[in-house]
This record gives sequence, C-alpha cells and structure tokens, in this order.
Amino acid sequence: MRTALIGAGQIARQHLACLESLPGIELAAICDLSPATAEAAAERYGIGAWFTDHRAMLEKVRPDVVHVTTPPTSHFKLALDSVDAGAHVVVEKPATPTLAELETLVGRAHDAGRHLVEDYNYLFNRAPQEILRRIESGEFGAVTHVEVLICLDILGPGGFADTNSPHPALTLAGGAITDFLPHLASLAHVFVGPHRTAQTVWSKRKRSPLPYDEFRAVVDAERGTAALGFSASSQPDAFWLRVYGEKMQATANLFETRLTFDGPRNVPKPLRPFFSGLQEGKIVRRAALTTLLRKFKGPGTYEGLWELLARTYRALADQSALPVTAKDVVEVNRMVEALKPHEQRP
Amino acid sequence: MKALVTGANGFLGRHVVDALLARGIEVRAMVRPAARLEGLGWPASVDVFRADLRTSRELPRAFEGVDVLIHLAAVISGGEDAQFAGTVAGTERLLDAMATVACRRLVLCSSFSVYNYSAVRGTLDEDSPLHQVPDVYARDGYTVAKWWQERVTRRFAEQHGWDLTVLRPGFIWGREHGYLAAMGQQFGQHHLVIGPLTRVPMTHVENCADVFALAAVDPRARGRTLNIVDGRGERIWTSLSDYMRGSGQTGWRLPVPYWLAIMMVRLAYATVFRTATKVPSILMPNRFESRLKPLRFENGRLREVLGWTPPLDHQQCLARTYGPAVSVRAERLYQAPLIETQA
Repeated sequence: MRTALIGAGQIARQHLACLESLPGIELAAICDLSPATAEAAAERYGIGAWFTDHRAMLEKVRPDVVHVTTPPTSHFKLALDSVDAGAHVVVEKPATPTLAELETLVGRAHDAGRHLVEDYNYLFNRAPQEILRRIESGEFGAVTHVEVLICLDILGPGGFADTNSPHPALTLAGGAITDFLPHLASLAHVFVGPHRTAQTVWSKRKRSPLPYDEFRAVVDAERGTAALGFSASSQPDAFWLRVYGEKMQATANLFETRLTFDGPRNVPKPLRPFFSGLQEGKIVRRAALTTLLRKFKGPGTYEGLWELLARTYRALADQSALPVTAKDVVEVNRMVEALKPHEQRP
Repeated sequence: MKALVTGANGFLGRHVVDALLARGIEVRAMVRPAARLEGLGWPASVDVFRADLRTSRELPRAFEGVDVLIHLAAVISGGEDAQFAGTVAGTERLLDAMATVACRRLVLCSSFSVYNYSAVRGTLDEDSPLHQVPDVYARDGYTVAKWWQERVTRRFAEQHGWDLTVLRPGFIWGREHGYLAAMGQQFGQHHLVIGPLTRVPMTHVENCADVFALAAVDPRARGRTLNIVDGRGERIWTSLSDYMRGSGQTGWRLPVPYWLAIMMVRLAYATVFRTATKVPSILMPNRFESRLKPLRFENGRLREVLGWTPPLDHQQCLARTYGPAVSVRAERLYQAPLIETQA
C-alpha cells in the first residue's frame, strides 16, 4: 500500500515511526511547505519522494492512503484534495475546524468510496482497550458514567501560548483546548455513545494568549453520562480516565501505564477496601516500572496511534471494518461541536 | 554600511550588535515580537525590527538598506521538531526574503556540532569530516538543526551567487553562561568530570562577536568557512574550577578518565540501549563523543585568513564572566529611546 504524508512536523514523526514498522507499506512521498523539512523527513525515513505542493504530490504519486498531519486549520482542504485524488485519508485531530466542513468531507469520502479516519489515538491505548474488553466480556457490567480529565500545562512558552507567533490552534473556537476535545469526545463516545445534550463551562484562570485555559462539561449520552474536563493549571500533567460500570470501576492515567479496576471480591464486605487497596498498590507499583521503561523504547504515550494505524492498515488490506468508522467520526465531531464555546469569551 | 542581525538580543547577538557598533557599522536588530529589550542599552541608532522567522510576512522589508546579513538566530530549546522548524524552516523563510532584495552578503553562525567528532582524529579543524546522511539523524535535535541550517544556507548562496561566510564557533561562554556541556555531567551540585585534562574548544562571547563583526566587513572572509575558538582551550578541570569558584558553587567533582567513560557508555549501549528508541544523550556513544571527545583545537585558519587575534585574553574573559558586572557600553551613555520598526 502506497502511503503519503502531508505535513512533516512533530506529529508526522509519530506517524512515520509507526508506519515504518508496519508490514506492506511503502512510504511513497511526503509534503511540507518547507522544502528542508520535507527533504529531511524523506532522508530520515527513507521516503521515496518529497514535495512542497500537495496537489503535485497527489497527482504524481497517486497514494492509496494519505496522512494529513498539518495544523488543524488546513486539514479540510488537504483531506478533501486527497479524497478527490482517490486516497483513503488518516487525518490528525481535530479533523476540521467546523462540523459543516467535517460533514462535507465525510460525504465526499463516502461518495468516492474512500475511508476517512480521524486520529483518536488515546482510545487505542492499552487501558481503554482493556476496559472495553471487560465491558464486552460482561464482567464490567453496563457503563453508567465516564470521566475524562486532561491536566496539561499548555501555558509554557513555545507551544500553544507562544507569544511570538500565534499557534494555529488559537484560531479554533475555544482555542488550544479545542485541539484536545476530540480526545475527550472520542473516549466519552466509545463508553456511553453519541451525546444528546451537553452543558459546558469555559473559563480562563491565567494570563496568556489562550482564550480559555479551563474547560468542564457534563454530557448526557445515549448509554450514560460523561464528565469531561481540561485544566491547564492543575499539576502534575495527567490524563485521567474513570469508567463506572454496574459491576466494576476502572481508573487509568493515559499519560502513564496505570490502570486499576475495583470490583466485587470474595471477601467479607468490610474487608473489601483493604484487599482492593493492596491490589491497587501492587498494580500501581508495576505500572511505575513499565511507565519508566517505555521512556526508553517504543511509542510511549503514542502507543494508541500505533495500534490505531496497525488496525487501520490491516482493515484496509482485508477490506474489513475500520477501527474508526465514518459514523464514529461524525458522532464524535457532533459531540465536539456541542462542547465548543458558543458565547463570547468572558 | 548596514548589517541586519537576526537573533540580535540573544547571548551572542547582543555582543555582535555591540561589536558592529564599535566598528561604526549601522545595525538593524531583528528580534522576536515579544522580546524584551530593556537592559540591553542599545543606542537609538539601532533599528529594531520585530519579526518571527517562522511566520512573519514582512521579512523582505527587514533587508531595506542592508548590505550584509548576519544570521545568528536559532532555536536552542524545545523538542527536535521545534528546533528544526525555528532554525531551519525559519532560515528558509529568511533567505527566501533575501532572494527578493539586493543584499548579497551573508555571514552565518554555524556550530562545531556539524563536525562528526566520531570520525575526527587528533586535531579538529575546518577540513574535518562533517556529519553525513543518514547518520546525522541519529544526533540530537540541535545538531540536526544546525547541520541543516548550514546546508540550506549554502544551497541558497550557491543558487543566488551570494558571498557567504560560515563561522563555526566552539562553546561560547561568558557572563551567566559559564557552564558548558563539555564540562561533563552535573548531578545537582556535584559534577562527574569526564576527561578532566581534555581541552574545551571555547570562545568567549565578546571575542566571538568580534569575529562576526570583522567577517562582516573584511572582504577576505568571503567564501570562507572558519572555526572560532580563542586558542587551544582550557582544560575541563580548570574551566569547571573557574566556573564553580566564579559562581560560588560548592560540590564534589569526581574525575573519570575519558577512555573509561566512553568504554562504559559503549558497553551500556551495546548491551542495554542498542534497541532502545529513546536514550539519554550522554548514554549514546556518538553524542557522548560530540560533547567530550579529547581532540586538539586551534584557530589557525581564522588567524591566517582574517589576521584575527582575540581582543580579550583568558584572564580578561574570566574577569568579564565572573567579576563585577561592567557594562560594555557604560562609557557610551546612550540615553535616547530605541526606534522600532514593527513587522
């Protein structure tokens, strides 16, 4: 399968590191507005050709799959051109700045018989996948509620809060936090389904170029409820996922490998917290070690991206169901749209 | 004569501005939009141009009336991609702008990091081997970015027939920059001194800046690539002692012979880290060598081409670095406000 990338920056590197490890993929071309950035990526990853004009690349290389790994404001046009050139598209989140563009894109891909996959990488981390496995096996019970809270300092210099050059994500409704909404929404969606209503609180605690730096939401969804949040001030950095089932509860930090379950035990009820605590301590100690070791090897916190891409390419080769379907993408983006701020900043 | 200096408020840049002014050269100082210039004491004659090389659309305007570009700007912090975007893509945008104007003279600040230390034996000079593709990509982000910056600049110069001088400073030191990566590995206030007798390729920031100002005006510099070191360099142990004494630091210094340290690093790499994808720089043999390999350094080419000798001797450099703060410009008493050009 011939694969090409548009955008050769930081996230492209994560895609490339994964793609070069997958069988049956030819890294055919890469495109970036900066010739040196494109050429350097081509040299580093042994990519067949590099371009600065994505249309020229699509025309000349005719890739089977295109990864769109540019800043979000350019995704729509690049993904649309790629679909029109007959390629399946893997697009970084957020797929498009607006829901209308997303629906246009999904419609165009459908008409062309191509697939559109948005990168919900954290959904494919080991922890959410293990929780899903237990839900599927019945041991977890039906999910009643899910909490997802990202605590991440995005106010430091050089990133979203760069005072010298405005970050492209700041043009999104909600600013930098909206860049993370697909993570929150995709996790809520997989555990409690499409949303019905959402109530949000957007606020700003610290002085910075960001329009907002705190976000909370309560979502009523088809199979349960979700509490979603983003905090730029709470430290240390963490990505908490808590899933509440009728028989079990799960807690994971997706920036680490920590995943604990609390459920029924074959002990007298008063002793349950004692044995649960012992077991949780053991699991957390083990997770501390695996979190340390994965700093030296493998994709680290991008393990979900590797899993998502592996499954996507397998499905494309087998012509089987994709891990992220067009229906998922539309439903997640509808939730994202409902989470965006709809009033002027405070 | 007017010089456009990028990265003008950086550690080297502010001294290059001083050195240019001292030679009577007009300066347009390019700084980032949010850069704070209080304390630099630049005179009103310094024309400040605010722009970010990554995104500014006004870069051609920065070259108006400029005879020589002194390109110092580079991103030295953040991840590898941020460094590449800021240093390399930023240079592409700057030189794209230069290609639209009349300026044809360019002095680039490159780095010793472009040399492949692993392949150098004995003396490192301008003829020493450079990194090659694909091995360069196994190096740290700073090295990749500086290597690419020089590559991009040479391509532009060749394509447009510009007069290019590439200056490659060794470790630049000075006030508040006394500690150098070549001094070993720091653990809190304690130091592992690897190869204590190894000499460090150093250049004091004011000496280094003087070379840039000289290269900007001296036609003999055109088309040349020159390393900048003040001399053969001080030994690591001595430099570290100066640093600790000067900065009032206390702590243990544990000397380790270089051969023993590199042997241990190679062993660790071969047995544990070879298959690892992310390894601390100090544990990767090629990066370890780039920081610490004992080589000889000299500035023969610089002396020969430009007749340069360091204006400050080592004792003066120590006094400037660790002694009481002396304003370089104290005697000039510039009081007038800066003129700023908003990009």
